[in-house]
Amino acid sequence: MGDAELELSPSPPEAEPSPVQPSPPSPSHSPSPSPSPSISITSSPSLSLPSTPSSGPHHHGLRRSPSPSEGHGGSSPALDVISEGMGELTLVIDSEVANRACQEVLLKVKQQQQGVEEGSEVPDPHAATNTATTTTTTTSEQGLPNGDLGGPGTPGAVTGGGVCGVGVKAPLIREEEDPSSAAKSARRRQRHNPSKQSWLLRLFESKLFDVSMAISYLHNSKEPGVQAYIGNRLFSFPHEDVDFYLPQLLNMYVHMDEDVGDAIKPYVVHRCRQSISFSLQCAWLLGAYSSDMHISTQRHSRGTKLRKLILSDELKPAGARARRDPPTLSLFCPSAKPLHGALAAGGGPAGGLAGLGALGGEHSLSPSKRTHQRSKSDATVSVSLSSNLKRTSSNPRVESNQEETVRLTPQREFIKSLMGIGKRLATLPTKEQKTQRLISELSLLNHKLPARVWLPTAPFDHHVVRVPHSQAVVLNSKDKAPYLIYVEVLECENFETSSVPTRIPETRIRSTRSVENLPQCGMTAEQRTASFSTVPNYDNDDEAWSVDDMGELQVELPDVHTNSCDNISQFSVDSITSLESKEPVFIAAGDIRRRLSEQLAHTPTTFKRDPEDPSAVALKEPWLEKVRRIRENSPYGHLPHWRLLSVIVKCGDDLRQELLAYQVLQQLQCVWEMERVPLWIKPYKILVLSSDSGMIEPVVNAVSIHQVKKHSQLSLLDYFLQEHGCPTTEAFLSAQRSFVQSCAGYSLICYLLQVKDRHNGNILLDAEGHIIHIDFGFILSSSPKNLGFETSAFKLTSEFVDVMGGQDRDMFNYYKMLMLQGLIAARKHMDKVIAIVEIMQQGSHLPCFHGSGTIRGLKERFHMSLTEEQLQVLVEQMVEGSMRSITTKLYDGFQYFTNGIM
Amino acid sequence: MSQVEKKVGLLRRSSSSKKPLKEKVVLMYDEIFKEDPSKHNPRFWDELFLMKVNLEYLESKLESVDGEEVQRIQDNINSLFHHCVQALGEEHQIKVVNALQTLCALFRGVHQKNKSSSGFDIINMLMGFDKAELRMKDLMESLDSLLCGDGSESLKSLCLKLLLCLVTVTDNISQNTILEYVMINSIFEAILQILSDVSSRGQHGYDAVVLLALLVNYRKYESVNPYIVKLSIVDDEPTLDGMGMVVHHALTEYSRQYKAKEEENQGGFFSTLTTMAILLALYEAVHLNRNFITVLAQSHPEIDMGVTSISPSPTTPTTPLGTSPPSLDAMNNQEQLTLDPNLQTSNLLITFLKYASIVMQDTKEEHRLNSARLCLIILTCIAEDQYADSFLHDDNMNFRVNLHKMPMRHRKKGVDKNIPCRPLVCAVLDLMVEFIVTHMMKEFPMDLYMRCVQIIHKLICYQKKCRIRLHYTWRELWSALINLLKFLLSNETTLLAKHNIFHLALLVVNLFNMFITYGDTFLPTSNSYDELYYEVVRMHQVFDNLYCMVLRVSTNTGQWKEPASKVTHSLVNVRAIINHFNPKIESYAAVNHISQLSEEQVLEVVRTNYDTLTLKLQDGLDQFERYSEQPREAAFFKELVRSISLNVRRNVSLSTMSQDLLLKEFSTIS
Repeated sequence: MGDAELELSPSPPEAEPSPVQPSPPSPSHSPSPSPSPSISITSSPSLSLPSTPSSGPHHHGLRRSPSPSEGHGGSSPALDVISEGMGELTLVIDSEVANRACQEVLLKVKQQQQGVEEGSEVPDPHAATNTATTTTTTTSEQGLPNGDLGGPGTPGAVTGGGVCGVGVKAPLIREEEDPSSAAKSARRRQRHNPSKQSWLLRLFESKLFDVSMAISYLHNSKEPGVQAYIGNRLFSFPHEDVDFYLPQLLNMYVHMDEDVGDAIKPYVVHRCRQSISFSLQCAWLLGAYSSDMHISTQRHSRGTKLRKLILSDELKPAGARARRDPPTLSLFCPSAKPLHGALAAGGGPAGGLAGLGALGGEHSLSPSKRTHQRSKSDATVSVSLSSNLKRTSSNPRVESNQEETVRLTPQREFIKSLMGIGKRLATLPTKEQKTQRLISELSLLNHKLPARVWLPTAPFDHHVVRVPHSQAVVLNSKDKAPYLIYVEVLECENFETSSVPTRIPETRIRSTRSVENLPQCGMTAEQRTASFSTVPNYDNDDEAWSVDDMGELQVELPDVHTNSCDNISQFSVDSITSLESKEPVFIAAGDIRRRLSEQLAHTPTTFKRDPEDPSAVALKEPWLEKVRRIRENSPYGHLPHWRLLSVIVKCGDDLRQELLAYQVLQQLQCVWEMERVPLWIKPYKILVLSSDSGMIEPVVNAVSIHQVKKHSQLSLLDYFLQEHGCPTTEAFLSAQRSFVQSCAGYSLICYLLQVKDRHNGNILLDAEGHIIHIDFGFILSSSPKNLGFETSAFKLTSEFVDVMGGQDRDMFNYYKMLMLQGLIAARKHMDKVIAIVEIMQQGSHLPCFHGSGTIRGLKERFHMSLTEEQLQVLVEQMVEGSMRSITTKLYDGFQYFTNGIM
Repeated sequence: MSQVEKKVGLLRRSSSSKKPLKEKVVLMYDEIFKEDPSKHNPRFWDELFLMKVNLEYLESKLESVDGEEVQRIQDNINSLFHHCVQALGEEHQIKVVNALQTLCALFRGVHQKNKSSSGFDIINMLMGFDKAELRMKDLMESLDSLLCGDGSESLKSLCLKLLLCLVTVTDNISQNTILEYVMINSIFEAILQILSDVSSRGQHGYDAVVLLALLVNYRKYESVNPYIVKLSIVDDEPTLDGMGMVVHHALTEYSRQYKAKEEENQGGFFSTLTTMAILLALYEAVHLNRNFITVLAQSHPEIDMGVTSISPSPTTPTTPLGTSPPSLDAMNNQEQLTLDPNLQTSNLLITFLKYASIVMQDTKEEHRLNSARLCLIILTCIAEDQYADSFLHDDNMNFRVNLHKMPMRHRKKGVDKNIPCRPLVCAVLDLMVEFIVTHMMKEFPMDLYMRCVQIIHKLICYQKKCRIRLHYTWRELWSALINLLKFLLSNETTLLAKHNIFHLALLVVNLFNMFITYGDTFLPTSNSYDELYYEVVRMHQVFDNLYCMVLRVSTNTGQWKEPASKVTHSLVNVRAIINHFNPKIESYAAVNHISQLSEEQVLEVVRTNYDTLTLKLQDGLDQFERYSEQPREAAFFKELVRSISLNVRRNVSLSTMSQDLLLKEFSTIS
């Protein structure tokens, strides 16, 4: 991923016209995940001495490789993409200004930050980074004075790249853009005097600077230069790291001032070009986070516009095309090179404007309008024209491009139909009707599958091939109709480029089944046992066919012997032996009856089908069992890449708060993992589709504690004993450990996030003994009905303590110890958590941000000022308080009376 | 000739002039029957197809040609046929319309004339032997392109009518030699295309499906029929769905009409003739194409015909030749699921079951008996299909199916409001039970009973094999079966005169054996096994009597000896149960001084005495003969196709008068 940005480096040769290197190798290709873009600026001499042995030669090879295909195979995003993205960057970022601003403003921030920084150790082996950083600093120092030459600072390099992508048209653009941008930069230059070398810049370029910090600086800094710089830096982070903060980025884009937006946009646009799923994610989130605005402002807001732009699918061509066609690239770049030289020398960043211009900046109402209104329209037109030409020029790509014109459509339609189903279900009065309708609607949906659609909650690339419609269930909800569907998918390399699987008719399943003849396939097993004598259940019944019984029967029925065997043809091997001996087979009626009741008892406790609670049965079934069953009945089941996913479709519910909770949980999980604290939590994925719809990744193999108690009629401890064995067994101990670790994790979560509404219906228990809290509808500043219940720090009932072995026992102490460790670890990384929450507060009307003290309160709960000893006391107090708290019990009682939850 | 004159006169009756003037077209027809019409008028053929066709006249003219004349005018008729085919390629749609209708008249007239003669004579007279292949190829190609083109819907409709007319000109479709050319020049793809497209399906679906059903039955058993082959491999879902929709719609329409009549208290049953062809199509699809099975389960909202307004589609003011049920175009709307909360979800299978429940009520008349038989055959095919079984038994797919129940003296009507939502197989079982209890009459429909019991057997075999424990009130089935045995016993003599009642009795007893020996694999509760014993013991007299009867028959010599002795052996376990529990129950009553044991008390006795009862394991209980159409059903289908042909032909010919409408449409176009 990191290569993406690095690839700019080949393009900025303008600094020294080095004819020796027709395609300048990238010195910046360090394998480190966050290579500083500025490294790439290092002039070619420095790269001739490969400072990092690992990176140097290797990447040379890549870069220089005469067969570009090879190079591209390795480094995913190709030159063109990057250069183009960078072109956009230049629009907003005036490199010199940015650097200077950084130096000045961030110095202060850095000093504040250092406190935190010192805490975390810098790993030694990264000496390379240090060297790199130093080099960079020097370069930037040199760079600044002769910034006119093309800005050796990152953005300058970016410009070069931009030209590369934009191609021949660049000079034109530059001419037109030049005056305004020059004036702008002049203005800024007046404001910020170049000052001494920036420590802050060093921080930014250091290895420690991660996405979390970037996002938080982006939010906190009021300095456009800093923001612009960080916007730039986003390109250097791995995609998945940035993706995690996408809600934050987009919320800032929607609700913060123009400069932040300008800083973020190029990155977003760049990523949208690369990926369909990113595009859609952005569109959905933009829609959701714009919804809190007043309707009148919303319509013209930046977020809405960007959303429209993405959904118009105009952000498609360049990226996707470039990625797929390396040869064109290599042809294209050399010819363009002289041009960036000229361009960079002339006006630096301006050239990139055209690239973004074509994509629609936020300055005008719509991209199409702008082409007529603005002075640079010609350039824009020609740019897009040139890209069009490119598109048609190479034959093999024409098709793929046509396909791309509808690249967002299938998925949007898919989501739309799922939401439509939810809306229609809500109009039906009974659960039964809802279920029927759901099944029939899904069966219609099946007709349109397989398609280039996917479930965004899945961790791997795939195509949806079938929805086993009869397995879908309506979940319990009063006036809305959330439902759970299972989705069969085929895993693939890349859902955008891999071909969509071909449709297999439903009935095909039978042929596949008989062909495979898998022994583990239940159906075939059943078929084999169809003959009486091989039914395993009867194997132990030999005594039933004993001679005594036979004699008895013979007395009763004298004619048995003579006509015992009419249908010889159907006899199985076993019965033939009995045939030969001319002795009929006898069975005891009592055995049949006994087997019946035994089998009924042994059938895995299927809940009785309850039309009022259809989901209970579906959720009860063990996941693997369900997967096996559905796979068996699916025409696609025999394919090796077949996977089963499930998703809860919520229509009419705002999942933004759930998403926020997910992010915090994810962050804390990460922190605990990093700090090696064995706390266990299970963040489940949330997909926000709008402010009132979305999807949730269901937690599998878990039932709510309410259900556990209701169906087992046991205390939690007894249930553990029943499920896992007696207290000395390995199984029980491991389940108990899981329970304690998850309890500690969620206790902290509940405390930190002030998760309320903690009744047993909202706490799941999985097969391994973990508890999992679900439903984060009441967190931070909101609590249900404002009844003021649940004043304890978290929910810790005596039943929970019992499972831990009782107070003051080892496991209970372990629990408290885990909490302390967890809290200390969390405290150390408080900023990461705070940043996530604080940014989302921007412009939000979510109930969890109600009031003014949300963030302050959250910060206070980390108790930065306490010593570890004091923290330990605090944990003790909280545990005590929660155990004593009658409010928990009171709340459970309240829930029981109002909702029937035990 | 006088007959012809009369017909002309009849046609003219409405006009005021008393001396009827002959139409120009009639004069031109006359000319054809005299000499080469183009001799005097080179533009004769051009002009002919601009004239409004007088089908009746042309037909009767052809009919009335006598033997010697045939030779003389054959060339002219060949020429007419040739020009008709040529005219199909004309741009001028009026000409195409007229050519199509003229062809219709030609086929019919020539066949009327030559009823007894061989197919070759007919072909010779129409096209001439040497040209026949070429002419028919051209004709079929033209029809194909008209059907698949973007042309007028009326034109397409007319094409289908012509084909229907051609397919049904003979009573026995297999004797229609011209169809050999339709086999070679397949229009199968055109039919499929009509079915796959929503709008064309709405307008022509019925005709297309009927045509397909008939074509599939052409020399089905004697030769390789390409339509059979092609139909069996279709896997395009929209097309299959389309076919399902047409069937669904026709069956729903029938049910609606029935209901309407019933509500008007008109009582009685009306003809199933119109749906017979559709039913045949459904059978062929289910029987030949296993992909079609999925269509059966394809859910869609129930179309309540009473609610759906019948809006005539603009392209067809009314269906020109009128074989279609009136409101087929309502089908267009059902593709989208509407938002009516009162709408129950339905599927083709449910529709079919409801239809079957109506049709099977009364089997006295032959065509209804045939419909019921066909329904049961279709259900047999379904019950044998594993995929169908899997969705029939799918616990997640529950439906309420309102089956029609015959009003009977001893039972209340209209309690069906509270039907629970259950897997579909329950509805099938209900239907079977319903049939069993309502048809024990003098005119005993033996064949239907056999099929009925076999269907139940197949379903239970599936449940046993897959260990599916269906929550069904098996008791109703048991008591229905026992009553059936009782009926067979009490009507032994009358029934034996016509039927092998032992075969049926054997099947019934073996159903009980399935429950007795394999009950542990598919019964829903342990209690249900007790109830089975209770029921057997309670009705022991029936089994005792049956045993006596079969024992008696099997000891005599005669044709029933062997079948009767089979029943004797099958009764082993039932008798063991009765002999085991009866004394126990009696002694229980004696010990406790109870004259009449309650059900609970009997069940208690049953429960406590299982262990001393030994049963014999009977083999092959879960084996069944798979359905095969040939040779057993061949005669039935031959007859069925014949009656459908007659019906279709009658409907096509009746409607030729409505050509005015058609012409009106085209005269406004051109």
